Amino acid sequence: MNWLSDFGSFVAGRWEQLLFDSYLHVSAVVQCVVIATVVGMLLGVAVYRSPFGSAVATAVTSAILTIPSFALFGLLIPVLGLGVPPTVTVLVLYALLPIVRNTIVGLASVDSSVTDAARGIGMSRFGVLTRVELRLAWPAVLTGIRVSTQMLMGILAIAAYAKGPGLGNQIITGLSRVGSANATNAAVAGTVAIVILALVLDAVYVLIGRLTTSRGIRV
Amino acid sequence: MPDTTTAERAGFSADSGSRRSERLRLFTEPVVVLAILGAVLVWAFTGDLDDIEAREINAANILTLTWQHVQITLAVTAIVLLVAIPLGILVTRPWAKGVAPIVLGIANMGQAAPALGLLVLFFLLTQQTGFWVAVIPIAFYALLPVLRNTMVGLQQVDQSLLEAGRGIGMSRFTVLRRIEFPLAVPLMLAGLRTSLVLAVGSATLAFFIGGGGLGELIDVGYKLRRTSVLVVGAVLSAALALLVDWLGGLAEQLLGPKGLR
Repeated sequence: MNWLSDFGSFVAGRWEQLLFDSYLHVSAVVQCVVIATVVGMLLGVAVYRSPFGSAVATAVTSAILTIPSFALFGLLIPVLGLGVPPTVTVLVLYALLPIVRNTIVGLASVDSSVTDAARGIGMSRFGVLTRVELRLAWPAVLTGIRVSTQMLMGILAIAAYAKGPGLGNQIITGLSRVGSANATNAAVAGTVAIVILALVLDAVYVLIGRLTTSRGIRV
Repeated sequence: MPDTTTAERAGFSADSGSRRSERLRLFTEPVVVLAILGAVLVWAFTGDLDDIEAREINAANILTLTWQHVQITLAVTAIVLLVAIPLGILVTRPWAKGVAPIVLGIANMGQAAPALGLLVLFFLLTQQTGFWVAVIPIAFYALLPVLRNTMVGLQQVDQSLLEAGRGIGMSRFTVLRRIEFPLAVPLMLAGLRTSLVLAVGSATLAFFIGGGGLGELIDVGYKLRRTSVLVVGAVLSAALALLVDWLGGLAEQLLGPKGLR
């Protein structure tokens, strides 16, 4: 209990800084997910008709995801410097695979008789894609976006090492002040805040899923 | 035709979700990785090295750090296998029905926890440094994919197969050993591969708390502004991760039960 009240006063004393770091954390993740969604869906749409293209796109993006995020930060520091540029690049690259994979799988699993029917009533290729196929694939794509968001919340913590924004700074501060009174408090606050915000974002996605899924396929 | 369950997979996974691209990775990945690794090492070793660079970029140091990295990964994998699979089997038994969703919920929540935060917290709480202080939090972090896939793999086995097994006189344990377990193996292996990727990736963070590994090269290169050291560390850990993932993919192809391949 003693520790808890200690932690409570730590949070109360640094409320504004924690709130600001949380805001930067969520805002960076959401912006990067938006960029990755646009890039990933364009990539998915470009290759989904060709089995070889799909294989190459998913193989490359899954290879990127395999690379340790700390190593990717390391590789980008000499090229892009510190702070926002390497952070955004790393986050967008990591977010690609789940979105590309699920776009391809989602588009490929659209029943061909549905697209044939759409063509038959005179829709253009583009119309079929945007008004039929993408809408049917959207729940799968959204699942990919959700997975990406959860992943990025954790990966962004490492960005603090390269002077990036967000709650990772609390964790790094805790580490660099080992032995001082508030070291553990800062690390706990950073870690717990990331988990809580990730859960909140996940709940937001459930809501977005309800609102954006076409009425005909809503469960 | 990819199955729809692939799209519904909610969780970290480096799996590409298509057989064709898995085959593509299986054949081209090791070649590309080894070529890049070789080129970077040749570039680093033949370059003009100052004192600091020479202290870091030499065969002995690089081999030591790589071996530390591999050891962390192996220890994590051993813990994951010894804890996650028995735990997954235990909570899917009929008498533990109530526990399974709770464990699955915690496992899904743990996915959102940052690896760096877990490492630093464990270090601050134990006030120790070194190998095991790095291994334990990484193992906890990497445990979740195997645990979840073991549970899902066992739960998805057709109930009628279990009844058929019981009907021809198998004991509950034999049903588990000869029917449920083999049918769940493909998903377990997929989970293991994801765990391996998480383990080898998080091992780059072990240096933060004195656990060694290839992250140390990246850190030294960054702090002392020696790009060559930084690039060698980053490329080595990336190559190691890709090769470990490749081995995991190979295991998925070779170790799955024959009837399901």
